[in-house]
Amino acid sequence: MTFARRLADLLHRLPVVLALLFLALFALLPLGVLAWQTIAGPDGLTLQAWRELPADEHLLTRMFASLRLGLAATVISLLLGGGHTWLCLGRELPGARLLLPLGVAPLVLPPIFVAMGFADLGDMSGFWPCAWLLGICHAPFVAVQAARGLRAIDGRAYEAAWLLRGRVRAELWLLRAILPELLAGCLLAFLFTVADHGVPEFLTVKGKTWHTYAEGIFARWNRRAVGTTFADLQSPIVAALPFIGALGLLLWAALRLRGKAPDRGVARPLPIRPLGVWRWPALLLPLGYLAAGVGVPLYVLACWTAGSAQKAEPMSLRFVQRSFAKAIDQCLPDLLHSLWLAIGVALVVLLLAVPLARTAARRRPGLELLCALPAAVPAILLGIGLVRAFFDAAPLRALGGDFYAGWGFAVCGYGARFLPFAALTLAAQVRRQPVAAEEAAALVQRSATARALRIHLPPLLPAMWSAAVLVFVLALRELDLAVVLPAANATAVRRLANAVHFQHEDYSGVIALLLLLAAVLVPLIPSLLAGRRLRSLS
Amino acid sequence: MDAVTILDLELPRGSFHLGPLTLAVARGSRTAIVGPSGSGKTTLLRCLAGFERPTRGTIHIGEHTVVDARTCLPPDRRGVGFVFQDGALWPHLSALQHLTFAAPGLGKDAARALLARGGLGHLADRKPDTISGGEAQRLGLLRALAANPRVLLLDEPLRSVDVHRRDELVLLIRSLVDERGLTMVLVTHDRDEALALADDLVVMHDGKLVERGPALTLLQQPRTAFAAAFLGAAACLPTTDRGTAIETPLGTFRRPNGTTGDLLLCVMPGDATATAATADLPAGKVLACTPAAGAFSLRVAFAGQIVQATAAAPHHAGAMVSVALQATPRLLPWSNPSVPSA
Repeated sequence: MTFARRLADLLHRLPVVLALLFLALFALLPLGVLAWQTIAGPDGLTLQAWRELPADEHLLTRMFASLRLGLAATVISLLLGGGHTWLCLGRELPGARLLLPLGVAPLVLPPIFVAMGFADLGDMSGFWPCAWLLGICHAPFVAVQAARGLRAIDGRAYEAAWLLRGRVRAELWLLRAILPELLAGCLLAFLFTVADHGVPEFLTVKGKTWHTYAEGIFARWNRRAVGTTFADLQSPIVAALPFIGALGLLLWAALRLRGKAPDRGVARPLPIRPLGVWRWPALLLPLGYLAAGVGVPLYVLACWTAGSAQKAEPMSLRFVQRSFAKAIDQCLPDLLHSLWLAIGVALVVLLLAVPLARTAARRRPGLELLCALPAAVPAILLGIGLVRAFFDAAPLRALGGDFYAGWGFAVCGYGARFLPFAALTLAAQVRRQPVAAEEAAALVQRSATARALRIHLPPLLPAMWSAAVLVFVLALRELDLAVVLPAANATAVRRLANAVHFQHEDYSGVIALLLLLAAVLVPLIPSLLAGRRLRSLS
Repeated sequence: MDAVTILDLELPRGSFHLGPLTLAVARGSRTAIVGPSGSGKTTLLRCLAGFERPTRGTIHIGEHTVVDARTCLPPDRRGVGFVFQDGALWPHLSALQHLTFAAPGLGKDAARALLARGGLGHLADRKPDTISGGEAQRLGLLRALAANPRVLLLDEPLRSVDVHRRDELVLLIRSLVDERGLTMVLVTHDRDEALALADDLVVMHDGKLVERGPALTLLQQPRTAFAAAFLGAAACLPTTDRGTAIETPLGTFRRPNGTTGDLLLCVMPGDATATAATADLPAGKVLACTPAAGAFSLRVAFAGQIVQATAAAPHHAGAMVSVALQATPRLLPWSNPSVPSA
């Protein structure tokens, strides 16, 4: 092999090598450092923290509460998100075409907004209200996956089942056919629920009497400065690591399940299935879901902006103007930070996800699990791991203090957190592309770069756009990492959480509305400029 | 020198094992590798193109060694063109862009001329999703030819083409290959496709070469029962070895000179006749009867096989008929492990 050829090969592999390096530095290393520190005591190696784990009642109670919360919220997500798609895709439901893409809308709202909205309307102190809130917030994951599954079904297969076994059996067959996608959606909802620190912590202010393990992790992290014993300090991490392992296994199972589901080439979409007398009553579920996931929070935020939380004067347009002026005056830099951070994260993640997804889909299926692993880690723990790794691990420390305090560290941290979603989305899209078309390109006497730019990337563009929008929205609404990473402290979501704690609902409402506007408008701009038909994420 | 030479090629794939294979394809020849699904013919073609790396053996294309123990040239450096089963076109490129991307040195005018030569001149700016299956396959062919390959490899090129468009595509492939003096290697499980496009046939079964030779010879005088069954739709009836004689359901015959081991009686369409059942002739049950050129073609369940026999009169399905052999009996071994390479 000539030197030029070797060099070309090396350059061709450089993007994937860099992406793996990123994954190792900003996702695996923090976890490794956290794991190492649970056994590296002040007097040498010790398993003290691990031995004390079964005896720590508080910790076990929190773990159990997290699991319960995760399961309950997932069931709610399945009923709302899955039900929404089930009723809106290929059904004669009035307005189904409009309602179906709206199923993804609650994803745009950070869970804390939804919590704020409902908490303003009534008592949200129990277990079930929290499960209900998180279930609504994460229902879009199930809705999107269910839509993907249903769209991949060949309508003729459904019609054959209908002819042979009747409508009810055909519907059951359909449910079974999309089971892998439903399970994948449920798993995502579960992961996001058990990893959520913001909503349970917010509800604590409102009088919650039970706690999750993500809260425990953060509580111990905060108390670090006061000083406790080694085992005490490490106990939440010790408890979290096996949990992350279990979630990783679940992810692996979900990926295997998804991989085994045949990529059914759709010869004909599902026929429009009648609902009979249930046509109008069935409308209640999608409308209820959207009202709870989007309507209520938006209504409450709008009311706050108009002064509903102020006892001194009634709501008015003048108050709205004052709230906006106050928010712009005090929070504009935070809003801009949030915006730039989210755009930066989306770009970085996209650059990393494309080579990883191609390699995972075509050559190294195991890489997909590695890419997915950060999704199993609660954001708060990943953030703590990143901070610890920066101070205790030479490869990250070498990046310097300015990097740590600046936006670079925040972008990388957020990037590690959201890389799985982009990588998995793109890997699925790569798999859908016929291998033969790429083989045809391999025969052409062009450089690998030319092939990548002209042949491999263009069919991925819609999925790249979807992934970028998803990451942008998730980064814009991320609260847990924003609490821990220094530069991300100056984001609008963080400011909002603080403002609500300190009863500044007036301009909190404005910040929230402006954030939502950004989350909706920025992804729409290219579509509006290009004049293309808008496509839902699903 | 041969255009393609394969020596002792092997590629294990789980329970399937391709090879060891030795095969030479003469320069300028049109060769079809035929065999049932799973026989390894597409894998062999992919080894030639460079999409699969054999674990053993060598491949020479022209004077270049493209695969040996140390070398495995990537596909773009082998000088081969490949026509894929379903076109495998690039969905986001126009027909013209397909050719200009496939052949970096090809100008737009030359690309347009090539498209016009393939009958696609009017579709230069169209993308694959707006053209028909036959046009897509033509474009796939032109794309493969655009870079002036030395060898053209085709993987079941007619499979996705409408029956009525097949002849046009066959003529186009043959004329373009002849014009350019290309060596063509085609794989297919369709006998008619192979005969329409190739002059030489190579029969594969279970990862091995079974037989090879000129298409007409192989069709009329197969040397193995497998080739007779696959190419000639022959029914292979079991036999019993009686020393110098071979006992078959259609009579006892002398063992052909130079043969050893188990033989099968291959009854090709036209070799046998059917008449109303009589006591002195072996009988079978009619499965189907279709008119054919002044006579009737019967499918008869006979000795555990389905024999195609000719009858002067129609017979209903389910009727019993006597079957008699009219041609010289073809007593052949199932397979031939030592196939000549050229």
